[in-house]
Amino acid sequence: MGGLLLLLLIVAAACAGIFFPNEISRLCDYVLSILHRTTRQDEAHCFSRQNDQPVQDQTDVIQNVPDLNVLNCRVQKTIQKEENSEIDVFDVDICGSIHAPADLHHTTLKITILDVTEGSSDSVPVQARVKQWQAGESPSFCYSADLGRLPNKITTLSDWTSVAKLRIDWLLFARKGQRSLQFNVSILSARDGLELACTRYTYLYENPSFGYVDVQENAEHSKTLAVALAFAVSAADGRMFECEIELIKKWAKDNINLARSSDKAERELDKALNEVITFYRQGNKLDTYNICREIVAITPIAGRCDILELCFNVAKANGNVVAEELRFLKELANQMEIDGGKFRELMEKVIPLEMHEVKDMESILGVTSDMNTEIARARLNKEYVKWNARVTNTNPEVQNQADQMLKLIAEARNQYIVSETDLRQENNEPDHSEHRVSPRQGRKSKSKNPKS
Amino acid sequence: MGNIVGIDLGTTFSALAILNAIGKPEIIPNVDGERLTPSAIFFDEENADLIRIGIEAINSRHLNAQRSVRWIKRHMGDANYCKKIDGKNWTPVDLSGLILKKLKQDSSVEHGEIQDAVISVPAHFDEIRRKATMDAGKKAGLNVIGIVNEPVAAALYYATTRAITGKVLVYDLGGGTFDVTIMDVKGPQMNIVCSQGDHALGGVDFDKEILRMLEQHYQDKFNAKLLNSDEDRAKYEDEAEDIKKTLSRRDVAKKMLYGPEGSMRAEITRDMFEQAISSLMARTDILVEVALEEASAKPSDIDKVLLVGGSTRMPIVQQRLEKMFGFAPETAVNVDECVALGAAIHAGLTTIREKPDAVPVGIASGLKDINLTDVCNHSYGTICAPVDKETGKRVVQNRIILKKNTPLPCEVSQTFYTVSKGQTEVEVTITQGEDSAVEYVNKIAMHKLELPPDRPAECPIKVTYSYDVNQRMHCKFEDVESGKALAVELSLNKNGEMSEEDLTEKSKQKYEVKS
Repeated sequence: MGGLLLLLLIVAAACAGIFFPNEISRLCDYVLSILHRTTRQDEAHCFSRQNDQPVQDQTDVIQNVPDLNVLNCRVQKTIQKEENSEIDVFDVDICGSIHAPADLHHTTLKITILDVTEGSSDSVPVQARVKQWQAGESPSFCYSADLGRLPNKITTLSDWTSVAKLRIDWLLFARKGQRSLQFNVSILSARDGLELACTRYTYLYENPSFGYVDVQENAEHSKTLAVALAFAVSAADGRMFECEIELIKKWAKDNINLARSSDKAERELDKALNEVITFYRQGNKLDTYNICREIVAITPIAGRCDILELCFNVAKANGNVVAEELRFLKELANQMEIDGGKFRELMEKVIPLEMHEVKDMESILGVTSDMNTEIARARLNKEYVKWNARVTNTNPEVQNQADQMLKLIAEARNQYIVSETDLRQENNEPDHSEHRVSPRQGRKSKSKNPKS
Repeated sequence: MGNIVGIDLGTTFSALAILNAIGKPEIIPNVDGERLTPSAIFFDEENADLIRIGIEAINSRHLNAQRSVRWIKRHMGDANYCKKIDGKNWTPVDLSGLILKKLKQDSSVEHGEIQDAVISVPAHFDEIRRKATMDAGKKAGLNVIGIVNEPVAAALYYATTRAITGKVLVYDLGGGTFDVTIMDVKGPQMNIVCSQGDHALGGVDFDKEILRMLEQHYQDKFNAKLLNSDEDRAKYEDEAEDIKKTLSRRDVAKKMLYGPEGSMRAEITRDMFEQAISSLMARTDILVEVALEEASAKPSDIDKVLLVGGSTRMPIVQQRLEKMFGFAPETAVNVDECVALGAAIHAGLTTIREKPDAVPVGIASGLKDINLTDVCNHSYGTICAPVDKETGKRVVQNRIILKKNTPLPCEVSQTFYTVSKGQTEVEVTITQGEDSAVEYVNKIAMHKLELPPDRPAECPIKVTYSYDVNQRMHCKFEDVESGKALAVELSLNKNGEMSEEDLTEKSKQKYEVKS
């Protein structure tokens, strides 16, 4: 259940050794002890795992003369030129003898790849990204090709012969980092599928991106980090409302898979969540910057947006979003490398306009005081077209949001946009300009209150 | 052959026009002799069967605002709106039907039975609202042979009454809605380029701003509310409209306000009014700019700006347009009547296309040179679940197939793929809207396309949408391998309703041939 308690770890990860006062030493000890374990686990998530298995099989056949009485294979990473690009491929060569039932026997080639980095008993298959390389319904890599007719009953390939070039970008490895890949090569009878010869070769490959096992683990870990951020949002305005806490608890129970495994697991999660709440209520704070950096390292943009959406939901749970919360949400989005457009898109989906305590044009519409008139005009026009198309939506909530957004955009236009004619009029007619809010005044007022 | 009629079912006023013997449209006055009929309804308090429509309803609404209805067009297509009178729920379709019935009855007095009609709608009205408008026509006993966009109708009338050539921008600011349409005109040849519209921007909204000022004046002087009942509101809504009209002619409008704490004289200047509506006017500016952008045109590319709708009488409208385009907009066409007149011409063109033999020679001759090319007013798409490249997960989204402002007639196909092995059906959804996010588009039809069993995933499904000149939309979902298809037609049926006809059975015979 240690994994389940992970939830707290992150909280602790940031605060460990920084803010812990003596009076909560119990919590501190508790959290630190788990932190120690987790940090090691996290390293495993994010960085290369050590290859603790000796490389066996025929890896040395490249250096030594292969035994031509049996089938041998070797794998080399090469570059294949395709139109205007160069693609990394595994070049699979074979040599040696193949015993067939008769001369001119029709054969096929089959290649599978196992990741044996953790040892043969814990091997996991390499998967294929493309259908034609998948074994039926399984995503596991399985390459088949027609080898043609062997000339003799015993056919011996005295030189290395290339039989397959496998695009590496079409393969999906288990984990990031150095992987021991065991290539299993079989020559099969095309008639009945009987194996005529087989061989294997282990290749050490440095996988630069997350593997499918990493992705699964990272997804789980990311949810834990999300809960930590959600609590930070809840505490951003200095008060943690019960509705916010309930929302986070529910989200954690619904989304953290381990918590669903048993009643005990659920109770442990509950306990952990309550301790986190206590931690916050005692005025402690998290280093959200580092949490966000970790999220960026392990979570794709879609997952980061899900986390931000959770944070938005927490912020609006008590019925309104105050300036501090909005400012904090922007900061989190920035640290999670979610751009302004995506931030607004999520915000407008989750937070109705009337819930904004202060209608900050910059956050809501993306117009800033340093934009020139034409850019601001184009930005507002684009927003208007978007909301105008939504105003006839059959969902009254969307309709209402759209109606309010159209009004806000029109106000923003009056505030931010000034035509050349207006400017001239202002310069020539000072009295007239006093009676209206000039765009420049409007801008000035915005910049005085940058985050309001 | 009956009369060929066009109806402008407006937010504040409605009008009916008929094509005369030589194909020229004429407004038919109502029984009160008025060329425009207020789109207002009043349910009599004593006689439940007596429903007053038009000026009578306007005059009666101060007596019992609960039994009166105005601006019903704003609620057209809104499934959640209904007016409860004496235990009966009146929907926007029912109420609009009453207004149309009044127009039909009044014009029948002089011109005999009216059956076939084209009704105008704002260009930005979606399918739901268009269908609701046609349903209202049916309730009124009309055979709605077509729907025409208001700015298109106005431009049709405009272009047939004078010789013009070039790019025309139609600026239609009515009682409740705003449309801007850009078209290329070369004599009787008219090509719509694009339309933009705002469903809640019109005279009513300007009136509301004046009413707000009146309330504020009273509050400031007496520290009390001016409006304390629905009847008060109804009364001052009319006063506000009156002030707005005055401010179109003069710099200042004066009114006596009678509230619970005493009476006062209120003065509203044109400057105050224009300041109050500046946000609303900003919305019109945005839509003009957006339309120009969609048409890839600069203000200097526009040869004429045509004003339509009563709200264009406000001087600020003309001033802003003159500032933007560098020349005065065209005001010669009667802004209140040109939509109904153009709708009648459209009705004539529709009848010539559908039933040429039934059109009198004079009318056919009068309309023979007119050629109108319209565009698709909205984007239509379907819901699909492509795999997100980054996460590898399927994301449900709306994919636009037929883009807004595509010239009619048009046909576009896209191919989608089944998701799983052994998939025996595909849920097909026809959407209307510009967003890729499903929650922001309207689903206008949903069906299931059955597929042959035992097939792998990723079998192609070809989706074809087409839109014809009669505003009929045809959708076909075809399983490419088996040839099995589902055809859905969104169109006018024989009763004048927007129907969704499932032609699966017919298509089976047609497409199951392929082995």
